[in-house]
Amino acid sequence: MFHVTKAYPGDPPVLVDINLDVQKGEFVFLTGPSGAGKSTLLKLMFVAERPTRGQVLISGRNVARLRESGIPYLRRNIGVVFQDFKLLPTRTVAENVGFTLDVLGTPRELVRAKSLKALKSVGLEHKADVLPPKLSGGEQQRVVIARALVNDPAILLADEPTGNLDPRLTVEIMDLLCDVNARGTTVVVATHDASLIERYQKRTLRLERGTLVAEALGHKAAALMA
Amino acid sequence: MSVTASLSYFSRTALNGIVRSPFVHVIAVASLAIALVGFGLARMASAQLDRLMLALAGEVEMTVYLEPGTTPDKMAELQQALSQRTGGQTRVVSPAEALGRLSKELGDPGHALTSLEENPLPWSVEVTLPPLAREPEALKALADRVRTLPFVTQVDYGQEALERLTAIARALKLGSLIAFVLVFLTAIVVVSATLQLAIYSRREDIEIQKLVGATDRFVRAPFLIEGLLQGAVAATLACGALWAFAFFVGPKLAALFSFLDVGGPRPGIDPRLVLELFGIGAAMGLLGSVVAVRRFLRV
Ligand SMILES: Nc1ncnc2c1ncn2[C@@H]1O[C@H](COP(=O)(O)OP(=O)(O)OP(=O)(O)O)[C@@H](O)[C@H]1O
Ligand SMILES: [Mg+2]
Repeated sequence: MFHVTKAYPGDPPVLVDINLDVQKGEFVFLTGPSGAGKSTLLKLMFVAERPTRGQVLISGRNVARLRESGIPYLRRNIGVVFQDFKLLPTRTVAENVGFTLDVLGTPRELVRAKSLKALKSVGLEHKADVLPPKLSGGEQQRVVIARALVNDPAILLADEPTGNLDPRLTVEIMDLLCDVNARGTTVVVATHDASLIERYQKRTLRLERGTLVAEALGHKAAALMA
Repeated sequence: MSVTASLSYFSRTALNGIVRSPFVHVIAVASLAIALVGFGLARMASAQLDRLMLALAGEVEMTVYLEPGTTPDKMAELQQALSQRTGGQTRVVSPAEALGRLSKELGDPGHALTSLEENPLPWSVEVTLPPLAREPEALKALADRVRTLPFVTQVDYGQEALERLTAIARALKLGSLIAFVLVFLTAIVVVSATLQLAIYSRREDIEIQKLVGATDRFVRAPFLIEGLLQGAVAATLACGALWAFAFFVGPKLAALFSFLDVGGPRPGIDPRLVLELFGIGAAMGLLGSVVAVRRFLRV
Protein backbone atom coordinates (compact mmCIF):
# COMPACT_ATOMS: atom_id res chain seq x y z
CA MET A 1 0.00 0.00 0.00
CA PHE A 2 1.31 3.36 -0.92
CA HIS A 3 0.12 6.59 0.62
CA VAL A 4 -3.34 5.27 1.14
CA THR A 5 -5.91 7.64 2.53
CA LYS A 6 -9.50 6.63 3.04
CA ALA A 7 -12.33 8.95 4.03
CA TYR A 8 -15.96 7.86 4.22
CA PRO A 9 -18.04 10.60 2.65
CA GLY A 10 -18.73 13.43 5.05
CA ASP A 11 -16.37 12.23 7.78
CA PRO A 12 -12.75 13.02 8.52
CA PRO A 13 -10.37 10.45 7.01
CA VAL A 14 -10.37 7.04 8.69
CA LEU A 15 -6.98 6.14 7.28
CA VAL A 16 -4.29 8.73 6.56
CA ASP A 17 -1.29 8.17 4.32
CA ILE A 18 -0.79 4.50 5.12
CA ASN A 19 2.29 2.81 3.68
CA LEU A 20 2.73 -0.88 4.22
CA ASP A 21 4.01 -3.91 2.46
CA VAL A 22 2.97 -7.52 2.98
CA GLN A 23 5.08 -10.18 1.29
CA LYS A 24 3.58 -13.11 -0.51
CA GLY A 25 3.24 -15.97 1.94
CA GLU A 26 3.65 -13.74 4.98
CA PHE A 27 1.62 -13.84 8.20
CA VAL A 28 0.84 -10.36 9.55
CA PHE A 29 -1.12 -9.12 12.53
CA LEU A 30 -2.96 -5.85 12.24
CA THR A 31 -3.75 -4.38 15.61
CA GLY A 32 -4.94 -1.18 17.23
CA PRO A 33 -7.80 0.11 19.34
CA SER A 34 -11.38 -0.14 18.28
CA GLY A 35 -12.21 2.32 15.54
CA ALA A 36 -8.58 2.65 14.45
CA GLY A 37 -9.43 1.57 10.93
CA LYS A 38 -8.37 -2.09 10.86
CA SER A 39 -11.52 -3.31 9.16
CA THR A 40 -11.41 -0.42 6.73
CA LEU A 41 -7.87 -1.29 5.77
CA LEU A 42 -8.89 -4.89 5.06
CA LYS A 43 -11.89 -3.68 3.04
CA LEU A 44 -9.57 -1.74 0.78
CA MET A 45 -7.75 -4.96 0.01
CA PHE A 46 -10.77 -6.87 -1.31
CA VAL A 47 -12.26 -3.69 -2.79
CA ALA A 48 -15.33 -3.51 -0.59
CA GLU A 49 -14.19 0.11 -0.33
CA ARG A 50 -11.98 2.18 -2.56
CA PRO A 51 -9.25 4.44 -1.19
CA THR A 52 -9.78 8.17 -1.49
CA ARG A 53 -6.13 8.49 -2.48
CA GLY A 54 -3.20 6.19 -2.97
CA GLN A 55 -2.57 2.78 -4.39
CA VAL A 56 -3.31 -0.71 -3.17
CA LEU A 57 -1.18 -3.20 -5.07
CA ILE A 58 -2.05 -6.88 -4.98
CA SER A 59 0.31 -9.07 -6.97
CA GLY A 60 1.46 -5.94 -8.76
CA ARG A 61 -2.01 -4.74 -9.72
CA ASN A 62 -3.44 -1.53 -8.38
CA VAL A 63 -6.84 -2.72 -7.17
CA ALA A 64 -7.76 0.83 -6.17
CA ARG A 65 -8.39 1.40 -9.86
CA LEU A 66 -9.73 -2.04 -10.69
CA ARG A 67 -12.73 -2.09 -13.04
CA GLU A 68 -16.01 -3.23 -11.45
CA SER A 69 -16.02 -6.24 -13.71
CA GLY A 70 -12.58 -7.26 -12.44
CA ILE A 71 -13.55 -7.31 -8.77
CA PRO A 72 -15.14 -10.81 -8.76
CA TYR A 73 -11.96 -12.36 -10.10
CA LEU A 74 -9.85 -10.62 -7.45
CA ARG A 75 -12.19 -11.77 -4.69
CA ARG A 76 -12.01 -15.39 -5.79
CA ASN A 77 -8.39 -15.34 -4.71
CA ILE A 78 -9.06 -13.66 -1.39
CA GLY A 79 -10.78 -15.42 1.49
CA VAL A 80 -12.36 -13.03 3.97
CA VAL A 81 -13.41 -13.73 7.55
CA PHE A 82 -15.87 -10.95 8.23
CA GLN A 83 -16.04 -9.37 11.64
CA ASP A 84 -19.84 -9.45 11.42
CA PHE A 85 -19.87 -12.99 9.95
CA LYS A 86 -22.29 -12.34 7.06
CA LEU A 87 -23.90 -15.76 7.23
CA LEU A 88 -27.26 -16.39 5.59
CA PRO A 89 -29.72 -17.38 8.32
CA THR A 90 -32.01 -19.35 6.01
CA ARG A 91 -29.32 -21.57 4.55
CA THR A 92 -27.58 -24.45 6.21
CA VAL A 93 -24.03 -24.18 7.41
CA ALA A 94 -22.79 -26.32 4.51
CA GLU A 95 -24.69 -24.17 2.00
CA ASN A 96 -23.18 -21.03 3.49
CA VAL A 97 -19.71 -22.46 3.14
CA GLY A 98 -20.51 -23.67 -0.37
CA PHE A 99 -21.42 -20.17 -1.53
CA THR A 100 -17.78 -19.50 -2.27
CA LEU A 101 -17.68 -22.47 -4.64
CA ASP A 102 -21.12 -21.95 -6.17
CA VAL A 103 -20.06 -18.66 -7.70
CA LEU A 104 -17.21 -20.46 -9.45
CA GLY A 105 -19.62 -22.84 -11.16
CA THR A 106 -18.42 -25.83 -9.16
CA PRO A 107 -20.63 -28.91 -9.59
CA ARG A 108 -23.05 -29.47 -6.73
CA GLU A 109 -21.60 -32.72 -5.37
CA LEU A 110 -18.11 -31.27 -5.33
CA VAL A 111 -19.38 -28.18 -3.50
CA ARG A 112 -20.89 -30.42 -0.85
CA ALA A 113 -17.75 -32.53 -0.48
CA LYS A 114 -15.39 -29.58 -0.25
CA SER A 115 -17.66 -27.72 2.16
CA LEU A 116 -17.75 -30.71 4.49
CA LYS A 117 -13.98 -30.95 4.35
CA ALA A 118 -13.60 -27.26 5.22
CA LEU A 119 -16.09 -27.65 8.05
CA LYS A 120 -14.13 -30.62 9.36
CA SER A 121 -11.00 -28.48 9.51
CA VAL A 122 -12.78 -26.09 11.87
CA GLY A 123 -14.34 -28.97 13.83
CA LEU A 124 -17.90 -28.41 12.71
CA GLU A 125 -18.72 -31.22 10.29
CA HIS A 126 -21.43 -32.44 12.63
CA LYS A 127 -23.26 -29.11 12.24
CA ALA A 128 -23.26 -29.10 8.43
CA ASP A 129 -27.04 -29.20 8.07
CA VAL A 130 -27.92 -26.81 10.87
CA LEU A 131 -29.04 -23.24 10.27
CA PRO A 132 -26.51 -20.61 11.48
CA PRO A 133 -28.84 -18.92 14.00
CA LYS A 134 -28.84 -22.19 15.96
CA LEU A 135 -25.08 -22.02 16.42
CA SER A 136 -23.14 -20.28 19.15
CA GLY A 137 -21.12 -17.18 18.30
CA GLY A 138 -17.90 -19.15 18.25
CA GLU A 139 -19.40 -21.82 16.01
CA GLN A 140 -20.66 -19.19 13.59
CA GLN A 141 -17.21 -17.64 13.53
CA ARG A 142 -15.71 -20.98 12.58
CA VAL A 143 -18.25 -21.39 9.78
CA VAL A 144 -17.11 -18.04 8.39
CA ILE A 145 -13.52 -19.25 8.52
CA ALA A 146 -14.48 -22.43 6.70
CA ARG A 147 -16.22 -20.37 4.03
CA ALA A 148 -13.13 -18.19 3.60
CA LEU A 149 -10.85 -21.20 3.24
CA VAL A 150 -12.96 -23.66 1.24
CA ASN A 151 -11.62 -22.20 -1.98
CA ASP A 152 -7.90 -22.38 -1.04
CA PRO A 153 -7.41 -18.65 -1.58
CA ALA A 154 -4.01 -17.07 -2.18
CA ILE A 155 -4.74 -14.43 0.43
CA LEU A 156 -6.71 -14.72 3.66
CA LEU A 157 -7.99 -11.60 5.39
CA ALA A 158 -9.33 -12.36 8.87
CA ASP A 159 -11.09 -9.65 10.83
CA GLU A 160 -11.14 -10.65 14.51
CA PRO A 161 -11.31 -14.36 13.66
CA THR A 162 -11.08 -15.38 17.31
CA GLY A 163 -13.21 -12.63 18.81
CA ASN A 164 -15.90 -15.02 20.02
CA LEU A 165 -13.82 -18.06 20.85
CA ASP A 166 -12.69 -19.51 24.16
CA PRO A 167 -8.92 -19.81 24.69
CA ARG A 168 -8.76 -23.43 23.61
CA LEU A 169 -10.66 -22.81 20.34
CA THR A 170 -8.68 -19.63 19.78
CA VAL A 171 -5.50 -21.65 19.76
CA GLU A 172 -7.06 -24.24 17.47
CA ILE A 173 -8.20 -21.64 14.96
CA MET A 174 -4.91 -19.77 15.10
CA ASP A 175 -3.07 -23.02 14.49
CA LEU A 176 -5.35 -23.61 11.53
CA LEU A 177 -4.50 -20.18 10.14
CA CYS A 178 -0.80 -20.90 10.63
CA ASP A 179 -1.23 -24.20 8.78
CA VAL A 180 -2.90 -22.40 5.91
CA ASN A 181 -0.07 -19.88 5.94
CA ALA A 182 2.50 -22.67 5.95
CA ARG A 183 0.88 -24.00 2.78
CA GLY A 184 1.62 -20.68 1.06
CA THR A 185 -1.40 -18.51 1.73
CA THR A 186 -0.70 -14.91 2.70
CA VAL A 187 -2.57 -14.24 5.96
CA VAL A 188 -3.54 -10.89 7.47
CA VAL A 189 -5.26 -11.07 10.86
CA ALA A 190 -6.83 -8.02 12.45
CA THR A 191 -7.08 -8.39 16.21
CA HIS A 192 -6.77 -6.47 19.45
CA ASP A 193 -5.94 -9.61 21.40
CA ALA A 194 -2.43 -8.95 22.76
CA SER A 195 -2.03 -12.54 23.95
CA LEU A 196 -2.30 -13.76 20.38
CA ILE A 197 0.38 -11.40 19.25
CA GLU A 198 2.57 -12.50 22.11
CA ARG A 199 2.03 -16.15 21.49
CA TYR A 200 2.53 -16.14 17.75
CA GLN A 201 5.69 -14.22 17.03
CA LYS A 202 4.67 -12.57 13.77
CA ARG A 203 5.15 -9.19 12.23
CA THR A 204 2.61 -6.82 13.76
CA LEU A 205 1.33 -3.54 12.35
CA ARG A 206 -0.26 -1.15 14.78
CA LEU A 207 -2.89 1.33 13.68
CA GLU A 208 -4.00 4.26 15.79
CA ARG A 209 -6.52 6.82 14.68
CA GLY A 210 -5.88 6.03 11.05
CA THR A 211 -2.10 6.07 10.99
CA LEU A 212 0.43 3.31 11.19
CA VAL A 213 2.23 4.05 14.46
CA ALA A 214 4.43 1.02 14.96
CA GLU A 215 5.67 -2.06 13.29
CA ALA A 216 7.30 -4.73 15.42
CA LEU A 217 7.69 -8.39 16.04
CA GLY A 218 5.68 -10.29 18.60
CA HIS A 219 6.92 -9.40 22.11
CA LYS A 220 7.63 -5.79 21.46
CA ALA A 221 4.28 -5.24 19.83
CA ALA A 222 2.51 -6.91 22.71
CA ALA A 223 4.48 -4.80 25.14
CA LEU A 224 3.43 -1.67 23.27
CA MET A 225 -0.20 -2.63 23.64
CA ALA A 226 0.05 -3.03 27.40
CA MET B 1 -16.07 -23.03 -14.36
CA SER B 2 -18.51 -25.56 -15.64
CA VAL B 3 -21.43 -24.37 -17.72
CA THR B 4 -23.74 -27.23 -16.82
CA ALA B 5 -23.02 -26.78 -13.12
CA SER B 6 -23.82 -23.07 -13.40
CA LEU B 7 -26.97 -23.73 -15.39
CA SER B 8 -28.19 -26.22 -12.85
CA TYR B 9 -27.29 -23.80 -10.07
CA PHE B 10 -29.20 -20.97 -11.76
CA SER B 11 -32.28 -23.12 -12.33
CA ARG B 12 -32.20 -24.35 -8.76
CA THR B 13 -31.88 -20.79 -7.50
CA ALA B 14 -34.70 -19.63 -9.76
CA LEU B 15 -37.00 -22.48 -8.70
CA ASN B 16 -36.10 -21.80 -5.10
CA GLY B 17 -37.12 -18.20 -5.57
CA ILE B 18 -40.47 -19.27 -7.00
CA VAL B 19 -41.06 -21.73 -4.18
CA ARG B 20 -40.16 -19.12 -1.59
CA SER B 21 -42.71 -16.57 -2.77
CA PRO B 22 -45.30 -18.45 -4.80
CA PHE B 23 -48.02 -15.83 -4.57
CA VAL B 24 -46.31 -13.05 -6.51
CA HIS B 25 -45.26 -15.53 -9.14
CA VAL B 26 -48.83 -16.77 -9.49
CA ILE B 27 -49.92 -13.19 -10.11
CA ALA B 28 -47.23 -12.63 -12.69
CA VAL B 29 -47.99 -15.88 -14.49
CA ALA B 30 -51.72 -15.12 -14.42
CA SER B 31 -51.31 -11.70 -15.98
CA LEU B 32 -48.94 -13.06 -18.60
CA ALA B 33 -51.39 -15.86 -19.37
CA ILE B 34 -54.27 -13.40 -19.70
CA ALA B 35 -52.23 -11.28 -22.08
CA LEU B 36 -51.38 -14.35 -24.13
CA VAL B 37 -54.99 -15.63 -24.22
CA GLY B 38 -56.09 -12.20 -25.44
CA PHE B 39 -53.45 -12.32 -28.11
CA GLY B 40 -54.42 -15.84 -29.11
CA LEU B 41 -58.14 -14.99 -29.34
CA ALA B 42 -57.41 -11.96 -31.51
CA ARG B 43 -55.21 -14.16 -33.65
CA MET B 44 -57.90 -16.80 -34.03
CA ALA B 45 -60.57 -14.21 -34.81
CA SER B 46 -58.45 -12.60 -37.45
CA ALA B 47 -57.63 -15.98 -39.00
CA GLN B 48 -61.34 -16.72 -39.09
CA LEU B 49 -62.05 -13.39 -40.70
CA ASP B 50 -59.40 -14.03 -43.31
CA ARG B 51 -61.04 -17.34 -44.14
CA LEU B 52 -64.39 -15.62 -44.37
CA MET B 53 -63.05 -13.02 -46.75
CA LEU B 54 -61.37 -15.62 -48.86
CA ALA B 55 -64.59 -17.54 -49.14
CA LEU B 56 -66.49 -14.42 -50.12
CA ALA B 57 -63.85 -13.35 -52.55
CA GLY B 58 -63.94 -16.84 -54.07
CA GLU B 59 -67.30 -15.93 -55.44
CA VAL B 60 -66.07 -12.72 -56.85
CA GLU B 61 -67.04 -12.26 -60.41
CA MET B 62 -66.88 -9.01 -62.15
CA THR B 63 -69.73 -8.20 -64.52
CA VAL B 64 -68.96 -5.59 -67.14
CA TYR B 65 -72.09 -4.11 -68.77
CA LEU B 66 -71.86 -2.84 -72.29
CA GLU B 67 -73.49 -0.02 -74.20
CA PRO B 68 -76.43 -1.04 -76.30
CA GLY B 69 -75.45 -1.39 -79.93
CA THR B 70 -71.92 -2.61 -79.29
CA THR B 71 -70.99 -4.64 -82.33
CA PRO B 72 -69.87 -8.28 -81.93
CA ASP B 73 -66.47 -7.22 -83.23
CA LYS B 74 -66.04 -4.66 -80.53
CA MET B 75 -67.32 -7.12 -77.98
CA ALA B 76 -64.69 -9.66 -78.94
CA GLU B 77 -62.06 -6.97 -78.77
CA LEU B 78 -63.19 -5.90 -75.35
CA GLN B 79 -63.39 -9.45 -74.14
CA GLN B 80 -59.79 -9.96 -75.11
CA ALA B 81 -58.71 -6.74 -73.50
CA LEU B 82 -60.42 -7.80 -70.28
CA SER B 83 -58.79 -11.22 -70.26
CA GLN B 84 -55.45 -9.61 -70.69
CA ARG B 85 -55.97 -7.01 -68.08
CA THR B 86 -57.44 -9.20 -65.38
CA GLY B 87 -55.78 -12.47 -66.24
CA GLY B 88 -59.14 -14.17 -65.64
CA GLN B 89 -61.68 -16.16 -67.60
CA THR B 90 -64.13 -14.09 -69.61
CA ARG B 91 -67.43 -14.95 -71.14
CA VAL B 92 -69.86 -12.87 -73.16
CA VAL B 93 -73.39 -13.09 -71.88
CA SER B 94 -76.19 -12.19 -74.23
CA PRO B 95 -79.29 -10.36 -73.02
CA ALA B 96 -81.34 -13.47 -73.71
CA GLU B 97 -79.12 -15.63 -71.53
CA ALA B 98 -79.11 -13.04 -68.78
CA LEU B 99 -82.88 -12.84 -68.86
CA GLY B 100 -83.20 -16.59 -68.75
CA ARG B 101 -80.94 -16.76 -65.70
CA LEU B 102 -82.78 -14.00 -63.97
CA SER B 103 -86.17 -15.57 -64.47
CA LYS B 104 -84.84 -18.87 -63.17
CA GLU B 105 -83.44 -17.20 -60.11
CA LEU B 106 -86.70 -15.48 -59.42
CA GLY B 107 -88.64 -18.75 -59.74
CA ASP B 108 -92.37 -18.73 -60.59
CA PRO B 109 -92.91 -15.00 -60.73
CA GLY B 110 -89.94 -14.83 -63.04
CA HIS B 111 -91.85 -16.54 -65.81
CA ALA B 112 -93.55 -13.25 -66.42
CA LEU B 113 -90.23 -11.91 -67.62
CA THR B 114 -90.12 -14.27 -70.57
CA SER B 115 -93.23 -12.68 -71.90
CA LEU B 116 -91.62 -9.27 -72.20
CA GLU B 117 -91.73 -7.85 -75.68
CA GLU B 118 -88.30 -6.41 -75.60
CA ASN B 119 -85.37 -7.64 -73.49
CA PRO B 120 -84.30 -4.75 -71.24
CA LEU B 121 -80.99 -6.31 -70.29
CA PRO B 122 -77.74 -5.22 -71.90
CA TRP B 123 -74.97 -7.34 -73.27
CA SER B 124 -72.32 -8.06 -70.68
CA VAL B 125 -69.00 -9.76 -70.13
CA GLU B 126 -68.49 -11.88 -67.03
CA VAL B 127 -64.97 -12.08 -65.66
CA THR B 128 -64.03 -14.79 -63.17
CA LEU B 129 -61.11 -13.26 -61.37
CA PRO B 130 -57.90 -15.07 -60.60
CA PRO B 131 -56.98 -15.21 -56.86
CA LEU B 132 -54.38 -12.50 -57.19
CA ALA B 133 -56.90 -9.91 -58.33
CA ARG B 134 -59.32 -10.74 -55.52
CA GLU B 135 -57.73 -8.51 -52.91
CA PRO B 136 -60.32 -5.83 -52.25
CA GLU B 137 -57.91 -3.03 -53.07
CA ALA B 138 -56.75 -4.62 -56.29
CA LEU B 139 -60.32 -5.36 -57.23
CA LYS B 140 -61.38 -1.77 -56.80
CA ALA B 141 -58.46 -0.48 -58.84
CA LEU B 142 -59.25 -2.97 -61.56
CA ALA B 143 -62.91 -2.00 -61.65
CA ASP B 144 -61.95 1.65 -61.94
CA ARG B 145 -59.71 0.94 -64.89
CA VAL B 146 -62.24 -1.28 -66.63
CA ARG B 147 -64.85 1.45 -66.27
CA THR B 148 -62.77 3.74 -68.51
CA LEU B 149 -62.70 1.26 -71.37
CA PRO B 150 -64.82 2.12 -74.41
CA PHE B 151 -68.40 0.74 -74.55
CA VAL B 152 -68.41 -0.03 -70.84
CA THR B 153 -71.37 1.43 -69.00
CA GLN B 154 -71.08 -0.18 -65.60
CA VAL B 155 -68.93 -2.56 -63.60
CA ASP B 156 -70.33 -4.71 -60.83
CA TYR B 157 -68.63 -6.80 -58.20
CA GLY B 158 -69.24 -7.75 -54.59
CA GLN B 159 -68.04 -4.29 -53.76
CA GLU B 160 -70.05 -3.31 -50.74
CA ALA B 161 -69.75 -6.51 -48.77
CA LEU B 162 -66.07 -6.84 -49.44
CA GLU B 163 -65.26 -3.29 -48.58
CA ARG B 164 -67.15 -3.47 -45.35
CA LEU B 165 -65.50 -6.70 -44.37
CA THR B 166 -62.11 -5.29 -45.19
CA ALA B 167 -62.79 -2.26 -43.06
CA ILE B 168 -63.94 -4.45 -40.18
CA ALA B 169 -60.93 -6.68 -40.52
CA ARG B 170 -58.61 -3.72 -40.59
CA ALA B 171 -60.19 -2.09 -37.54
CA LEU B 172 -60.10 -5.39 -35.71
CA LYS B 173 -56.45 -5.91 -36.51
CA LEU B 174 -55.47 -2.38 -35.57
CA GLY B 175 -57.53 -2.54 -32.37
CA SER B 176 -56.06 -5.83 -31.33
CA LEU B 177 -52.58 -4.60 -32.15
CA ILE B 178 -53.00 -1.58 -29.88
CA ALA B 179 -54.59 -3.68 -27.15
CA PHE B 180 -51.82 -6.21 -27.53
CA VAL B 181 -49.09 -3.60 -27.15
CA LEU B 182 -50.76 -2.21 -24.02
CA VAL B 183 -51.26 -5.64 -22.48
CA PHE B 184 -47.72 -6.59 -23.44
CA LEU B 185 -46.30 -3.54 -21.67
CA THR B 186 -48.50 -4.10 -18.62
CA ALA B 187 -47.41 -7.71 -18.39
CA ILE B 188 -43.77 -6.64 -18.54
CA VAL B 189 -44.37 -4.19 -15.72
CA VAL B 190 -46.05 -6.89 -13.62
CA VAL B 191 -43.24 -9.35 -14.24
CA SER B 192 -40.61 -6.78 -13.38
CA ALA B 193 -42.49 -5.87 -10.20
CA THR B 194 -42.54 -9.51 -9.06
CA LEU B 195 -38.87 -9.84 -9.82
CA GLN B 196 -38.17 -6.65 -7.96
CA LEU B 197 -39.70 -8.34 -4.93
CA ALA B 198 -37.64 -11.44 -5.60
CA ILE B 199 -34.47 -9.36 -5.81
CA TYR B 200 -35.38 -7.59 -2.60
CA SER B 201 -36.04 -10.81 -0.72
CA ARG B 202 -32.71 -12.19 -1.84
CA ARG B 203 -30.63 -9.07 -1.29
CA GLU B 204 -28.57 -10.72 1.45
CA ASP B 205 -27.72 -13.69 -0.74
CA ILE B 206 -26.73 -11.26 -3.45
CA GLU B 207 -24.53 -9.23 -1.12
CA ILE B 208 -22.64 -12.32 0.02
CA GLN B 209 -22.42 -13.77 -3.46
CA LYS B 210 -20.72 -10.55 -4.50
CA LEU B 211 -18.36 -10.68 -1.53
CA VAL B 212 -17.19 -14.17 -2.37
CA GLY B 213 -16.54 -13.29 -5.99
CA ALA B 214 -19.76 -13.70 -8.00
CA THR B 215 -19.86 -11.87 -11.33
CA ASP B 216 -22.80 -9.64 -12.17
CA ARG B 217 -23.90 -12.15 -14.73
CA PHE B 218 -23.91 -14.88 -12.12
CA VAL B 219 -26.08 -12.82 -9.80
CA ARG B 220 -28.49 -11.84 -12.56
CA ALA B 221 -28.93 -15.12 -14.38
CA PRO B 222 -31.37 -16.74 -11.91
CA PHE B 223 -33.71 -13.77 -12.16
CA LEU B 224 -33.68 -13.90 -15.95
CA ILE B 225 -34.46 -17.59 -15.75
CA GLU B 226 -37.29 -16.84 -13.36
CA GLY B 227 -38.79 -14.40 -15.86
CA LEU B 228 -38.35 -16.88 -18.67
CA LEU B 229 -40.03 -19.59 -16.61
CA GLN B 230 -42.96 -17.31 -15.84
CA GLY B 231 -43.38 -16.69 -19.57
CA ALA B 232 -43.19 -20.38 -20.42
CA VAL B 233 -45.69 -21.42 -17.74
CA ALA B 234 -48.04 -18.64 -18.82
CA ALA B 235 -47.77 -19.74 -22.46
CA THR B 236 -48.61 -23.31 -21.47
CA LEU B 237 -51.68 -22.12 -19.57
CA ALA B 238 -52.72 -19.86 -22.44
CA CYS B 239 -52.42 -22.74 -24.94
CA GLY B 240 -54.61 -24.85 -22.68
CA ALA B 241 -57.21 -22.11 -22.39
CA LEU B 242 -57.25 -21.43 -26.13
CA TRP B 243 -57.50 -25.10 -26.91
CA ALA B 244 -60.45 -25.40 -24.55
CA PHE B 245 -62.00 -22.38 -26.22
CA ALA B 246 -61.57 -23.84 -29.69
CA PHE B 247 -62.90 -27.19 -28.50
CA PHE B 248 -65.99 -26.02 -26.65
CA VAL B 249 -66.92 -22.70 -28.23
CA GLY B 250 -65.56 -23.34 -31.72
CA PRO B 251 -68.33 -25.67 -32.90
CA LYS B 252 -70.97 -23.16 -31.81
CA LEU B 253 -69.25 -20.44 -33.78
CA ALA B 254 -69.03 -22.76 -36.74
CA ALA B 255 -72.78 -23.25 -36.58
CA LEU B 256 -73.15 -19.48 -36.55
CA PHE B 257 -71.12 -19.12 -39.71
CA SER B 258 -72.52 -22.15 -41.48
CA PHE B 259 -74.80 -20.13 -43.79
CA LEU B 260 -71.70 -18.68 -45.37
CA ASP B 261 -70.29 -22.11 -45.95
CA VAL B 262 -66.93 -20.98 -44.69
CA GLY B 263 -66.18 -23.79 -42.36
CA GLY B 264 -65.89 -22.82 -38.72
CA PRO B 265 -62.65 -22.33 -36.85
CA ARG B 266 -60.61 -25.47 -37.18
CA PRO B 267 -60.66 -27.62 -34.08
CA GLY B 268 -57.63 -27.22 -31.82
CA ILE B 269 -55.02 -24.53 -32.22
CA ASP B 270 -52.67 -23.81 -35.00
CA PRO B 271 -49.15 -25.02 -34.11
CA ARG B 272 -47.84 -21.72 -35.40
CA LEU B 273 -49.95 -19.93 -32.81
CA VAL B 274 -48.50 -22.19 -30.11
CA LEU B 275 -45.02 -21.18 -31.18
CA GLU B 276 -46.00 -17.52 -31.20
CA LEU B 277 -47.47 -17.80 -27.72
CA PHE B 278 -44.32 -19.38 -26.34
CA GLY B 279 -42.15 -16.87 -28.13
CA ILE B 280 -44.13 -13.89 -26.89
CA GLY B 281 -44.47 -15.34 -23.39
CA ALA B 282 -40.74 -15.87 -23.17
CA ALA B 283 -40.08 -12.41 -24.56
CA MET B 284 -42.38 -10.78 -22.00
CA GLY B 285 -40.88 -12.74 -19.12
CA LEU B 286 -37.35 -12.02 -20.21
CA LEU B 287 -38.00 -8.33 -20.86
CA GLY B 288 -39.71 -7.97 -17.49
CA SER B 289 -36.78 -9.55 -15.72
CA VAL B 290 -34.25 -7.51 -17.69
CA VAL B 291 -36.10 -4.34 -16.65
CA ALA B 292 -36.13 -5.47 -13.01
CA VAL B 293 -32.49 -6.50 -13.02
CA ARG B 294 -31.38 -3.27 -14.68
CA ARG B 295 -33.39 -1.07 -12.39
CA PHE B 296 -33.17 -2.82 -9.05
CA LEU B 297 -30.08 -4.95 -9.06
CA ARG B 298 -27.40 -2.44 -8.29
CA VAL B 299 -24.65 -4.94 -7.95
N1 LIG C 1 -19.25 2.51 6.15
C1 LIG C 1 -18.77 3.49 6.95
N2 LIG C 1 -19.22 4.74 6.80
C2 LIG C 1 -18.74 5.74 7.59
N3 LIG C 1 -17.82 5.54 8.53
C3 LIG C 1 -17.33 4.32 8.75
C4 LIG C 1 -17.78 3.21 7.96
N4 LIG C 1 -17.13 2.10 8.36
C5 LIG C 1 -16.33 2.49 9.35
N5 LIG C 1 -16.43 3.81 9.58
C6 LIG C 1 -15.68 4.58 10.56
O1 LIG C 1 -14.31 4.35 10.34
C7 LIG C 1 -13.61 4.23 11.55
C8 LIG C 1 -12.78 2.97 11.53
O2 LIG C 1 -13.65 1.85 11.47
P1 LIG C 1 -13.11 0.36 11.38
O3 LIG C 1 -14.30 -0.52 11.30
O4 LIG C 1 -12.13 0.29 10.27
O5 LIG C 1 -12.39 0.21 12.77
P2 LIG C 1 -11.72 -1.08 13.39
O6 LIG C 1 -10.30 -0.74 13.63
O7 LIG C 1 -12.01 -2.25 12.59
O8 LIG C 1 -12.46 -1.19 14.80
P3 LIG C 1 -12.90 -2.51 15.60
O9 LIG C 1 -11.69 -3.01 16.31
O10 LIG C 1 -13.95 -2.03 16.56
O11 LIG C 1 -13.43 -3.48 14.62
C9 LIG C 1 -14.64 4.25 12.66
O12 LIG C 1 -14.56 5.49 13.31
C10 LIG C 1 -15.96 4.11 11.97
O13 LIG C 1 -16.92 4.94 12.58
MG1 LIG D 1 -13.15 -3.92 12.75
